[in-house]
Formats: sequence, structure tokens, C-alpha cells
Amino acid sequence: MSRSRSFSRSPRQSIQARFGFFDASQQPPMPIHSSSNPTGNLLEVTFPPAELQRSMSSNHASLRGMRRLEARRQMEETNYLSSKARSQNLNPPVDLRLLDYVTPYDDNLMCPVCRCAFIDPVVLVECDHCFCRDCIRQTWATTASAYTPLGPRGDCPSCRTPAKLGARSATSKILVNITDDLVVRCPNSEQGCEATVKRGEVQDHVGIYCGYSKQECYAEDCEQPVRRRDADLGCLHYNVTCFDCRETMQKAELEAHWKAKCPDRKVACPQCQEPILSRVLDKHSREMCPAVTVSCPGAVLGCTSRSKRSQAEVHAQTCTLAILAPVLAAQKQRLDEQEVVQRTMSRKLEVLESGFAAVEEILYPKHSVQAKEDDVRADERRIPLLLEDGDSARRRHTRLESTDVEDMDEQFSGFEFPSPTSSRPMSSRLIASLPPSRPAPPPPGPRPQDLPEPFSTDFDMPFPSAFPPPAAHGPYVSPLHHLLSMHEALRDELSRVSTAVQELDGRQSMHTLNENLRMREEMGYLGAQVTGLSRQVGWLTSTQLQRQQHQHGAGVGSSAGGGGMDGIAGAGAGVEAAVSAVGAAASALRGAAQVRAQARRGHSEEGRTKL
Amino acid sequence: MAGSNKRIAKGQELADITTNPPEGTKVKLADESNIFIWEVLLDGPEESVYAGGHFKLKLVLPTNYPFKPPVLSFETRIYHPNVTNDDKGSMCLGILRSDEWKPPNQIRAVLKMVRDILVTPDIDNAVEGAIAELYKSNRKWYDKQAKEWVAKYAGKK
Ligand SMILES: [Zn+2]
Ligand SMILES: [Zn+2]
Ligand SMILES: [Zn+2]
Ligand SMILES: [Zn+2]
Ligand SMILES: [Zn+2]
Ligand SMILES: [Zn+2]
Ligand SMILES: [Zn+2]
Repeated sequence: MSRSRSFSRSPRQSIQARFGFFDASQQPPMPIHSSSNPTGNLLEVTFPPAELQRSMSSNHASLRGMRRLEARRQMEETNYLSSKARSQNLNPPVDLRLLDYVTPYDDNLMCPVCRCAFIDPVVLVECDHCFCRDCIRQTWATTASAYTPLGPRGDCPSCRTPAKLGARSATSKILVNITDDLVVRCPNSEQGCEATVKRGEVQDHVGIYCGYSKQECYAEDCEQPVRRRDADLGCLHYNVTCFDCRETMQKAELEAHWKAKCPDRKVACPQCQEPILSRVLDKHSREMCPAVTVSCPGAVLGCTSRSKRSQAEVHAQTCTLAILAPVLAAQKQRLDEQEVVQRTMSRKLEVLESGFAAVEEILYPKHSVQAKEDDVRADERRIPLLLEDGDSARRRHTRLESTDVEDMDEQFSGFEFPSPTSSRPMSSRLIASLPPSRPAPPPPGPRPQDLPEPFSTDFDMPFPSAFPPPAAHGPYVSPLHHLLSMHEALRDELSRVSTAVQELDGRQSMHTLNENLRMREEMGYLGAQVTGLSRQVGWLTSTQLQRQQHQHGAGVGSSAGGGGMDGIAGAGAGVEAAVSAVGAAASALRGAAQVRAQARRGHSEEGRTKL
Repeated sequence: MAGSNKRIAKGQELADITTNPPEGTKVKLADESNIFIWEVLLDGPEESVYAGGHFKLKLVLPTNYPFKPPVLSFETRIYHPNVTNDDKGSMCLGILRSDEWKPPNQIRAVLKMVRDILVTPDIDNAVEGAIAELYKSNRKWYDKQAKEWVAKYAGKK
């Protein structure tokens, strides 16, 4: 490209010079670009400078001169490129596709690919369709087109005719002129530049004239960018603090900060045009801006009026629905609260009801087979339903966060729902576990005090007012049920009596056992006495014998010996008699004990039969 | 920014199609920060078996749009010979094939084409051969099936 710039000194190629400059202004001067611009190269080869042609045909000396010339040209080129790059770092080349066009342009000036006014238009040779050079190049680059030595070619993006780029022709020149004359806004318009310029001159405007473009600070040793219009104010690259938001920044940035960034700057509300602090603008347009259209507060009740916020007040004062709205809203809230409370209450009621039913079931179980079956079926219908209700209700209620519900939950966990299978064993368990020490436990539940004697109940006699329980309680809905309940009461009574009898029996046997023990002790004592007696008798006998022998010895008569013997024998017989008498006494004692035991056994048997 | 994005952002294509969408369609960005993914809501054309259905489509623009075609897919399931019968809902639309795509084509034209094939399926470019076959042989049954799918998947907005 820069090469084409050097050629531009030759007057023959003024048109190309113009294009060359145009190219350079809109595309970054990267080396890859000049190589990717085969058409440009093609053109250069087509028109080599005359002096070059001359040197090519001359001898080696002129070749050396040419090399020197070439070296100088390259140095110039490098200098030019580096200075240009510096300025472009501060002000990047204007992207013509992002410009705002001040006046609408004809659709025929629009490239069908980028949908923008043509930028460096080219006309395809075969079909005369026109595109931006970049657009057609991109199109062909993405459709893997084979490289052809005759320059880029591919299908026309519009009509698919195989085509190639034409030379710059008069047609595209006209197009270039027209599109370059389109008036655009300066790309720095957001920074404050109000200039509108022709598109062909926008690069010059930004690069040379626009006061809002950046350039290097004039101050020594300060290479930081500054706006062109501020450049004469001296170095502005020192820190200052924004008065409004207290943010610290360079002086050079301050104006831009006030213009676009400071959160405490005033901006015009897009609706009401009032100046509003930018940080509250959102809130303003949401809640306060008088120009925003809002609907009447009574909209929930059906008012369809929509008006500006400033007039909404006036409307709200006259609109019945708007006046009613807060009242009704409060009422609705109260209703909702009531509903929640009511739901809790009904749950409680349900629990109590089911608990009551369970208690009833325990108190008045039904015994007739038919009734039992009916009952079981009814229970199966009722209790699982209740259980299910309870579960779902608990799930529902755990979501509510009221203490009532916590109470409820405690009730739930403390309460066992009776199931039809467990209700019957429960009642029998209750009876078995009655404390045996209490001879007549109170009936479990509200029972009649004046219950008629068992077995003597006249079923035809009018029932006492307290028995059976009033029909309103449920179970007693028919005479059959009256009888059944009576039967059940009797059964209860019977079981209580039998318990009492059992207890009595146990106490009796205990008593007998104690009595026996005492008798055995007495007998042992008597036995010991008898032994003592017999020992005494033995001792007495032996002393008697000794005394007789002594008397006998004192007599010294042989005849006396016989008489002595007789005396001894008589004494022995007396002793024997005494011993047997003692034995008889003992056996008499034993007999007495036996009689007594027999009498007691007979007594207990009598008691049992009596019971 | 490549020239392609400029066409979406600056070339008024998005602004134009969102403010003034083709009949029966609504277009918006699926995500405000990504201009390459558009969400299209398409009402089944009244004159087609898809009448009453509300279809959600996803239009993904390649980064080098318009040099490469956008990719269009049905997010709402639809019983149609030109739309794959799976969760992808990929479309086979003549102008969306990369060898058929022309950079001058606009999204507006693409959406119009989608509506057109809902009215008249493009049997020659069918991706669901079975459905295409049914369309040709037993049109009544095809209509019934398509309507059932509309009721099942595209009923609510
Ligand atoms: Zn273009
Ligand atoms: Zn063409
Ligand atoms: Zn300017
Ligand atoms: Zn400075
Ligand atoms: Zn500030
Ligand atoms: Zn306002
Ligand atoms: Zn109102």
C-alpha cells in the first residue's frame, strides 16, 4: 500500500493515488493487508514506473544505484508507518460501518452483505452485482475458494454466478463519490462533538480537526493522551477529585466523567425531562416520574383507567374502585388470616373427633358377629381415611409457621390413632391389667351407677336414665344395640367378679400355707419336749435301779437277791409303760394335727365351692 | 468486532426484526448479553395443521454471519418432515444449508421461509423420511398426527 503511495507521485496514476489513500485511511496498515490485497498488487505490476523499467534494462552500476534508492525508500516508509501507528494508537481508524448517518440513504447504496452504505465498492465482472471489497473478500474467504493466479474469484453472493473482481471502473468511482458524500455524525459525538461531516472526510476530521480526539500531551516527558481541545491548557495529567462523587481521577478525564460516568450527575429523565441524579434515575422512573403511565390503584377491582402519574392522583380521588381498593385489600387479608385459623381449627376438630371415636370404640366395642363385621367395615372406611387426612393435613400445616400448628403437631405425635385390628385386643388388655388388689375397680368410662344385678337383669324393664348412654352418642341406635351394650356390661361385671374370686383364692391358699408352717413348728416343739421327757424318764429309771442295788447289797441276803431282781423287773416294766404312754401321747398329738389339717382343707374346699 | 457483528448490531437487522417482526413471529435475544442467540416465538400459521400452536425456535448466528448461515432449531417439538423428530429439533431448510446460503439473505426471509414450510412442507428436502412418506401417502393421518403433537407440545405459550 505504501508502495502505491510512493507511486502516487507519478501524475499518471492520480486515480489510484486516491484509492490508495482511501484504503490506507480505513484499514490498519498491517503487512498482511498489502499481501492480501492481490488486486492492488496486480495493478501495481500492470503499471510499473517508467524509471524502474529503464533501470531494469540497464547495466549493473545502475542496479546498485537502484538498490540504494530502494533502501532509502524503505527507511522513509518505516518512519511514516511508525508515526502513523502512534497516532492511530490514540485515534484508531474510523470504522465506517459503525457510523451514524445523518440523512437516510437510498437502498441501492446499501451493500447486501453488510447492509451498510457501500464501503470501497467493487463490481463483479460477470453479473455487475456490487459489494464492499471487504464483504466480497470475506465471502470468498469463507467458501474455501481455490487460489487462482488470475486474482480472487468465486460465486456472486447474490446470484451465484461464478465471478471475479473487476478492475476499478467508472461505475464504482461514481458509487464511491456518492457514498463518500453521505453525511455522518462524528464518531466522538458521545463525547460531545456535534460535528457532522461527509463520510469521505470523517477520517480527516477525527485525525486532524475533532476537538474530542486524543493527541499527545504537549508537556515535556508526558506522553499521555489528552483531548485536542484541551491540549493548549497545559498538562492536565494530575489527580483531582470529583466534587460530587469523591472519585479521584486525572484532570483530563474529569469532564468526561461528569458527562457520562459520575453517579451524582444530573441527567434529563427521558419521560419528564426533569434533571434527575443518574443514580436515582431508575427509581425515579419506576416510582416517581410524573410522566410515566400508571394504572389506577383500583385496577385489581376492574378499573381500566391508565393515566400519567401526575393525573393518577386526581383520578384516584374520584374513582370508587380506587377508594375501595385498600379497604377490600385489608378485608381480603383478614379473610386469608381467618381461613388459615379456621383450617387449623378444623384440623383440631378432626383430631378430637377421631380421638373420641377411638375412645368410644374402646368403651363400647360391639360383640355380635354381624355388628362386629359392620363395625370393622365401617372402621376400615373411617379410620384410614382419618389417618390419611391427618397426614396430608400435617404436611400442609408444616408449611405454616404458627404456634398453633406446632401444638397440633405435638398432639399428633402424642396421639395414637387406633386401627381396627388393634382396638379389640386393647380392650381385653385393659381388663387384664386391672390392679388385682382393688376388689371392685371402677368401670372404665361413664357407666351407670345403678347397674342391675348380673343374671337378674330384666331386659324388658325401662332403662335407667343414665344407662345406656344417650342415643345421641352414636352407638345406641337400635334395641339390638341396647341389648348388646347390656350384654357387654354384664360380661365386664362377670370378669371383674371372677378376678375377685381368683384373688380370694390366692389369699386363702397363702393363709393355709402359713397355718401349716405354724403347725409344723408346734409339732417340732412337742417332739423336743417328748425327747426331754424320755431322757428324764431314763435318768429316773437308772437312779431307781442304782438305789435298789444299793439296798440289796446292804441286806446281804442271798434270798434278797431274787426279791431285788423282781423289783428291778417291776421298775423296768413301769418305765416301759411310761415310755409307751409318751408314744401314745405323741401319736395322739399327730392325730390331732391331722384332724386339724383335714378340717382346714375341708374349709377351703367349702369356700371354693361357695365361690 | 468483525464486519459480521456490525450487521447484527448496527445494520438494524435485530432492531428491525424485533420492532417490526414478520407476521406471526416474535424475536428477542435469548440472553441480552449475547447477540448471537435469538429466541423466536412462532405461531402456527392459520392455514396449516399447526394452527393454534406456539413454537419456540432458537436461532444461532455464527460469529462470521452473514458469511455463514444461521442455525435454526425447534425447541418445541413438532411433527414435520423438515424438522428432526428429537429434542434437537434441527431444521433442514434449503437456504440454511451452507452451500445454499447467500450472505445477502436476511433473518426476516428465513423466518418467512419457516412459516412457509409449516404450510407446505418441503418434501424433497425432508430429514424425517417416514413423516415425509406419510405426508405423501396418507395425508389425513399425517394431519391428525401433527395436530395431536401441537396439542401435546405446543399448546401453551
Ligand atoms: Zn458490504
Ligand atoms: Zn451477481
Ligand atoms: Zn468530531
Ligand atoms: Zn500531560
Ligand atoms: Zn463524580
Ligand atoms: Zn421523570
Ligand atoms: Zn380508577
